[in-house]
Amino acid sequence: MAASNPAAAEQYDYEYIKKFTVMAIVWAVVGMAVGVYIASELAWPFLNFDIPYITFGRFRPVHTGAVIFGFGGSALFATSYYVVQRTCQARLWGGGLIPFTFWGWQAIIVLAALSYVTGYSQGREYAEMEWPIDLLIEVVWVAYLAIFVGTLMKRKQPHIYVANWFYVSFILATALLHTFNNIAVPVGLFTLKSYSLFSGAQDAMTQWWYGHNAVGFFLTAAFLGMMYYFVPKHAGRPVYSYRLSIVHFWALSFMYMWVGTHHLHWTALPDWASTLGATFSIMLLLPSWGGMINGIMTLSGAWDKLRTDYVMRFMIVALSFYGMSTFEGPLMSLKDVNALSHYTDWTVGHVHSGALGWVAMISFGSLYHMLPRLWNTRLYSEKLVGVHFWLATVGVLLYIVAMWISGISQGLMWRAFDDFGNLQYSFVESVEAMHPFYAMRAIGGMFFLSGMCVMAYNAYMTIRQGAREAGVAGRTAPAAA
Amino acid sequence: MADNMHKQGPQTTGHVWDDTLQEYNNPLPSWWVWGFYGTLLFAIAYWLVYPSWPIGKSFLTGVFGNIEYVNAAGETESWHWNTRAKLLKETQEAAAQQKPFYDKLAATPFDQIGKDPDLSSFVTSAGKPLFADNCAACHQSGGSGKVGSYPSLADDDWLYGGSHEKIQETVTKGRRGYMPPFGEALAPAQVTALASYVLALSGEKADPAKAAEGKELFHSHAAACFYCHGDEAKGRQDIGSANLTDKVWLWADVPGAGDDAGRLAAVEKVIAGGLAKGVMPAWEGRLSPEQIKLLTVYVHELGGGK
Repeated sequence: MAASNPAAAEQYDYEYIKKFTVMAIVWAVVGMAVGVYIASELAWPFLNFDIPYITFGRFRPVHTGAVIFGFGGSALFATSYYVVQRTCQARLWGGGLIPFTFWGWQAIIVLAALSYVTGYSQGREYAEMEWPIDLLIEVVWVAYLAIFVGTLMKRKQPHIYVANWFYVSFILATALLHTFNNIAVPVGLFTLKSYSLFSGAQDAMTQWWYGHNAVGFFLTAAFLGMMYYFVPKHAGRPVYSYRLSIVHFWALSFMYMWVGTHHLHWTALPDWASTLGATFSIMLLLPSWGGMINGIMTLSGAWDKLRTDYVMRFMIVALSFYGMSTFEGPLMSLKDVNALSHYTDWTVGHVHSGALGWVAMISFGSLYHMLPRLWNTRLYSEKLVGVHFWLATVGVLLYIVAMWISGISQGLMWRAFDDFGNLQYSFVESVEAMHPFYAMRAIGGMFFLSGMCVMAYNAYMTIRQGAREAGVAGRTAPAAA
Repeated sequence: MADNMHKQGPQTTGHVWDDTLQEYNNPLPSWWVWGFYGTLLFAIAYWLVYPSWPIGKSFLTGVFGNIEYVNAAGETESWHWNTRAKLLKETQEAAAQQKPFYDKLAATPFDQIGKDPDLSSFVTSAGKPLFADNCAACHQSGGSGKVGSYPSLADDDWLYGGSHEKIQETVTKGRRGYMPPFGEALAPAQVTALASYVLALSGEKADPAKAAEGKELFHSHAAACFYCHGDEAKGRQDIGSANLTDKVWLWADVPGAGDDAGRLAAVEKVIAGGLAKGVMPAWEGRLSPEQIKLLTVYVHELGGGK
């Protein structure tokens, strides 16, 4: 095992992987705390306190930015730098570019959050950052691509491992999406405000081409890359099917690019474009499931591990939620289902079953696997991993169930007619009906957040323990290098 | 050599990464392959029903999804499937269902509407969402109003009149309530005297001496309150001035004040500062005349319509 192999720490460059790992955990705590707060604002609006900086509208992108780009992004930088080195048997290429990606990325998250609370936003979901921050992202991202490809080119292995295909496709697609969705004209050189170059339905379509592929490549392909390394590595089992990994990789990359228009059903978007979005979403179902099959089947023969190994449990539950939400997504993209689900909390629940159930859970598993190996020690407490697992699982379930009930009742109430042909409910009645489920959702979030705090404590103690052991080792064997 | 602890069973590809990572070369699960083909067939069928692939400047319009409906002019229209036609069809159908009732409502005089049980239930059913979506944001659900901001529609006190005709006029044309500020024209002691009188008029506790002084001022040409509020301080519905002799408070939050001093201050504030925010928007053009008539009946029924 790598944990007992101090040579790995010499062979590979772990410095910025450690920093990204720590920041992933920090941003997870911050982002989820903001999430719990805005969920509570929806349930108990007095929490706005009439302070503009903390209202739902400004805090919401702070939440999504901190969890997707802060937590998710840092976890991806950390794991991709870890995976690419170990599967290429090469140290990271790039020298000064590596710290630049770390400090640049952290600056982006902080600047974005500051700009949102002070009221600067492009009004594009998941791309709210104004143009100077967009430019910084562009530069950091190109550096990231250079480091990753540079390391791949240095590899001492003839073949490129599957996890790296997914990471590369994620980096390339994100560069493309980010660039084209943020083509905007600043109002002036010294102002943060800018306007999109596109207008009307084209602007909406560009935004959702970006928006859904942020889900597809940032939150799916990239985390599949994570899965393809950490699941077989942690289980000690070969990946189930190389062939399946190739077929589903290409099918997934091809299909995802088309599906963004399913966010714009029943709008001014031409009907033919929305039909294509719906059908490509349906055709995406099995390619998405390819990753789940490969992950779950990799474990077959090692099921006993699930009884004792909570890290493994995180991974398998993540794959189950991945399968569930990639089934739910195509279903919701059908025009007639969407007529019910659009603009309701069902969408919010769907996103979170993917984001909490899949993205966060697979990251937790991977980070728990990496932590002891990076700091060359054992996990401080396996038991606390178990506590985290149960808090997280209960939290996701509360969240999703609340949003299913509230979303479907919203959809049904909005479209209900009485015998006279009159609308049966006013909008405010639907809001009133949501209240208990908004409270339930906030409580689900609190469970998930408290699990995250347990993880942060466990990680902190693990790192401290690693530092202490390194100190002892350093004194007794100073010539270890 | 690789760690071969799983040598039995399917073959691996022979590659090994990071000491232990290997890949089996299992074939694609057949249910996965057939499932994938199934989704392709589904997609093709969907393309046939709905508008799909763009071709040149046009697109495949879909064949099985034609939408037919009767438009407002009574003509039958037929379209290939599209979002707009589907919306028009559904709104036309709902409108057709409502039409006989709206027609009947338009033709029925106000005093006869309550006597027709079908029409009455239509008014209740259509009025509830209409009121909630258009009126309740200010007048609150059930028309209970908000002291300090919006008048209650559920009591029998009417600034501009509570007859059907007056309510209809209010909803159609809107209203603009105004009272000039007296803070500069009168001395603070005079404002206090007037406020005491106004409180006394409604049976609230007030200093009798000051109230008497206020009564004089009220009817004098110095303050000239009686111009608008009338000799008996009962208000004038033709200009929307408030009746000061009842217990209904709109602008001065007397019921919400904790003590006598607070009640006095609330009334003083209105007298000194005047009012320019009593604006009710006009709904003409935003709602149809039938909808306004319906809301008139609905509001009339909420409380004490006259």
